[in-house]
Amino acid sequence: MNRRVVVTGAGIISPLGDSPQAVFSSICEGRSALGDVTLFSTDLMDGAQAGEIKDFLPQPYLGKKNFRPLDRTGRLTAAAVQMTLDNSGWTVEMREENLVGLILGTMFGGLHTIAEFDRLGLTAGPKFVKPLDFANTVINAASGQTAIWHTLRGVNSTISTGGSASLQALAYGMDLIRSGRSDVLVSGGTDELCFESMYGFYRAGMLAGSISGQSACSTPFDIQRNGFATSEGAAFTLLEDHQFAVDRGVSTQAEILGYGSGYDYSQGKDENIAVKARAQAIQVALDDARLTADQIDIVSASANGSKLNDRYEAMALLRCIDLENVPVMAVKSSLGDSLGASGAMQVVLLIEAMKQSLSPGIQTMSKADPDFSMLENNIQNRPVEIRYALANAVSADGNCCAVVLKNISDE
Amino acid sequence: MDTTEIRTQIKEVIANATSIDVADIADNSSFEDDLGLDSLTLLEIAVDVDHIFKLNIPDEELSERLQHLRTVQDSVDLVVNHRSHKNVGV
Amino acid sequence: MDTRVVITGIGLVTSIGIGREMFWENVLSGKSGISEVESFDTSAYSVHKGGEVKGFSHGPFVKNIDSDHIGRASQFAIAAARLALEDAGVAPDDINREATGVSMGTTSGEPNQIELFDDCCVADETNQVSPYFISSYPCHYIAGHVAAELSLMGSNMMIPTACAAGSFAISHACDILRNGRAQMMLAGGADSFSRITYSGFARLLAIAPDKCQPFDKNRKGMMPGEGSSMVVLEPLDLALERGATIYAEVAGYGLSCDAFHMTGGHPKGDGAVRAMEQALAESGTSPDDIDYISAHGTGTKSNDFHETVSVKRVFNKAAYDTPISSIKSMLGHTMGAASAIEAAVCSLAVYYGQIPPTINYEEPDPDCDLDYVPNESRQQKVRLAMSNAYAFGGTNASLILKAYEG
Repeated sequence: MNRRVVVTGAGIISPLGDSPQAVFSSICEGRSALGDVTLFSTDLMDGAQAGEIKDFLPQPYLGKKNFRPLDRTGRLTAAAVQMTLDNSGWTVEMREENLVGLILGTMFGGLHTIAEFDRLGLTAGPKFVKPLDFANTVINAASGQTAIWHTLRGVNSTISTGGSASLQALAYGMDLIRSGRSDVLVSGGTDELCFESMYGFYRAGMLAGSISGQSACSTPFDIQRNGFATSEGAAFTLLEDHQFAVDRGVSTQAEILGYGSGYDYSQGKDENIAVKARAQAIQVALDDARLTADQIDIVSASANGSKLNDRYEAMALLRCIDLENVPVMAVKSSLGDSLGASGAMQVVLLIEAMKQSLSPGIQTMSKADPDFSMLENNIQNRPVEIRYALANAVSADGNCCAVVLKNISDE
Repeated sequence: MDTTEIRTQIKEVIANATSIDVADIADNSSFEDDLGLDSLTLLEIAVDVDHIFKLNIPDEELSERLQHLRTVQDSVDLVVNHRSHKNVGV
Repeated sequence: MDTRVVITGIGLVTSIGIGREMFWENVLSGKSGISEVESFDTSAYSVHKGGEVKGFSHGPFVKNIDSDHIGRASQFAIAAARLALEDAGVAPDDINREATGVSMGTTSGEPNQIELFDDCCVADETNQVSPYFISSYPCHYIAGHVAAELSLMGSNMMIPTACAAGSFAISHACDILRNGRAQMMLAGGADSFSRITYSGFARLLAIAPDKCQPFDKNRKGMMPGEGSSMVVLEPLDLALERGATIYAEVAGYGLSCDAFHMTGGHPKGDGAVRAMEQALAESGTSPDDIDYISAHGTGTKSNDFHETVSVKRVFNKAAYDTPISSIKSMLGHTMGAASAIEAAVCSLAVYYGQIPPTINYEEPDPDCDLDYVPNESRQQKVRLAMSNAYAFGGTNASLILKAYEG
């Protein structure tokens, strides 16, 4: 079976807003998600900035309910999934009648909950750890909680491949529908901002400005880049079998045509292997979509300001795509890196780019590396008619995923 | 600590574990029927009550005690009885 | 499904044996891997036992990457992967790198690494957190490190669906092969023992004090364990081409979600039933055809009862004629590795015509009245074996393996 997979709804919660249009506009206006962190102290991190969803509360999205069972990751997930279900018209009644799946990409799950659970056990003794928190120490907790919250009884899976997680989740979900195993599912990702992960990145010298003496530059592809800025959020798309969507009379936004994935087994240490793995994923995605590279109208890059990874991605794209002429958007320039959620954010914003025929600029970029200086063409917003788009997501250690989308809003 | 204070503290424990307003927790509210609590939440409440009131209920007994914890009053009684049994003051 | 997928190699790291041969011999003889917990101090707990893999050394297995900064589950996974390849008669240097991938499952990833982080915090030495924390803790590094160790560029997945993760990983690997995205996949699961996991289950009053007794009337709970299982999966035609031993063929699978409770199953087993039915439908078999069920069988009052109810709902009268055993009676619950180990068990049951027992079975429970293969393994032709797994979060998986008969 080889069914067509379409997107009929999307939802996003990010430091730059909670609708695809709002986030897209913010990026086009050159706004940044990065700021001082209020969730925890960054004193140990030289006051590094991050993308925090300030004053996030689940009630405006989910109503007045008991939220104790959900931690921040669970709340972000449930809230973003609610919006996705709403704007694709999947009511509670319909979810009770049909098996709607949920594929969640996340790098850490509820890491803060895991750590707090453990620390309470150390300080108060194992007798007093919290049962409700234990339920959230499994990495698939948010997926399970959200399924309960929204009556999602189809395939429930969690994908953790680092920064590529929610794009891998989309690919996984696409395969389930394409093969006939599922008719409809929500696919996307969530990662929360927390001390444990941010400090971990800082200790490894991966955050922009975490090597002493450098001022932070987390601009993708910029020649001055010295690391990324962590962020948080959740983003989802509603995927359906095309015929199913047509039969229920809902408008379709985009079609997922194909994907490719692979692994840089040098884990960033060997440029040849790193670039090859990324390029292979992109080529397989194009082949799967039955397209040639010259048909791609826009690329959404994974780049986040990492010295090496941005280079590897650029060099891989150079092998396949005409970067002189094809716009490249790199939303982490504005949003920061929301890790497991980032791939889904890229897709949601790509769909918005399709609607608005506009590629948001990488406005903080001044100059790119000489090897890919043509990417400087993307500093400003670029009008572009988009029929086919390529989304690329790569984790810090080289887990690559590329997805090809088609604009079918005119079908 | 008198019974009223114990009851107030317990209601706060329940509120923390459930997001239910203290004002909506009646003295004789049933955990399952009135407050809609599941087994995991009930266990958390029992653990928190044990922690706060230093009841030191052994795990072997906890399972059994949970069977008899059906209402807010049951948990107040649990604390009162345990404390008087151990001759704990205040 | 056009492309048939078969299992041609099995590698295991368990508390009752490292490697397929030792494991199978011990599991058939009903050896218990449960012992006093040694990896951390359990004096503040009311329970003290678990299924730790004692005396494991990663030395012989981790050769190409820096073993100093990888977690225990990664070490297990690399060991199991190398053992699986060896069992499959595949030399690592002969692997087609671009066309070979890794698909794994886990429950907790590398919890020991966050425990080290927390130790620093609690000792007020947060600035001592290792710079390697962030490249050793995230669970996707387990699958990543297997690929790095063996130089594999293909599809690389980590599916942390808790206690059903191994089945998710193996079924995903099958799909990757069926779609022609790889020519060989290493698939399975890994989890390491941790105080976080132990504390949680102990707090839920879920851990048995002495032994794990699935389906027994006096069962007192589960037993946390650890380990890894990896299988080599290939398309049938490629396996035949290289003259591989074929343990079993993957006949079908089913995945579902209860959407009911985070740690307890659906009261009527709706999700479990759907998963079994999907697996049967996809494999073109009916319950009467299943010769053996590898149960989830954790040993808790609740799981074993509900699992029995679900099996009866799907199998009806045939439930009483189908042996169903739980190897968790021997290994304890190895979390993300469990359903991968159980897939290995089903493959070996099919290949050798032997069924492992449920040990520690002393008194039948009238509410669990099926044939649980009590205490003694059995010689029996197994043409079709079903493995069931039910996870925290209410996600369920059923996998059916069948004898390769040409």
